[in-house]
Amino acid sequence: MRDSRSAELSPQVGTVVLTEQEIQRRVAGLADEISQDYEGREILAVAVLKGALPFAVDLVRRLSVPAELEMLGISRYQSSGREKTVRIVRDLEEQPTGRDVLIVEDIVDTGLTLHYLTAVLRRRAPASIRTVTLLDRPELRLADIRPDYVGFSVSEAFLVGYGLDYRERFRGLPYIAELIL
Amino acid sequence: MIQVSTQEMAEERRGMPASFAHPSEEEFARWLDFYGVHWRYESVCFALAWDEDGRVTESFTPDFYLPDFDLYGELTTMKQRLVTPKNRKLRKMRELYPDIRIKVLYRKDVQTLLFKFGIVA
Repeated sequence: MRDSRSAELSPQVGTVVLTEQEIQRRVAGLADEISQDYEGREILAVAVLKGALPFAVDLVRRLSVPAELEMLGISRYQSSGREKTVRIVRDLEEQPTGRDVLIVEDIVDTGLTLHYLTAVLRRRAPASIRTVTLLDRPELRLADIRPDYVGFSVSEAFLVGYGLDYRERFRGLPYIAELIL
Repeated sequence: MIQVSTQEMAEERRGMPASFAHPSEEEFARWLDFYGVHWRYESVCFALAWDEDGRVTESFTPDFYLPDFDLYGELTTMKQRLVTPKNRKLRKMRELYPDIRIKVLYRKDVQTLLFKFGIVA
């Protein structure tokens, strides 16, 4: 086992798992579904930084119901990192009290991040909380949580692109691909 | 349910035990701590077979128990072809203890998690 920071790696983008067209088609489908479910209401979409940002922007742009986009940043676990406990590092500007909150995630695997966020936001007394994730990896699930809307189920181990990064690289790719280490 | 506690006084811990069987387990425990998820390490041993005198002849001890989710977790870093004996035990455990929820994270799953942690396994 070696720390990636000290490893001499030259990661490369491998097989494309989801093309730009496939992603955009699915995002449009999710937006339609969410718009129907929220008919007559206004959504407070909460994008979880940084990975969910491209997905959240594209999703909100396609919603046919009014939606406000907010961003929430939480500390990220890093091996040997200084952060010992998860915490909010960038809070919402608009408080969710009484609002219909839609948490927007790039990927849900163990579900611990979503479990944490749901618990934190629930304490702020929103009218409702739902979750949407572009990618779901349910075979890794530990927390008893299920996203309300799922773009794609995936099983590949290392994915990058469309917000997903490897050491802050590859987020800007318009597609999602496997990473070759 | 017949189970044998290997650590009768095992408490929910958020600190490290004296030793883990594998570095990935220690990393996993640190990560659970990060999220404030309570865990117990190898706290329960499930009996799987007995001889005619009632002595336990085969057992299985999951690596983790997560009381917050009432879930047992088993991490395995063995290559897939070497996992067969463990899978056999897991099948047996599920037959004998159908109400126990256990999540097995295989080598690829563990690698995925380590990748998230910034470690290349």
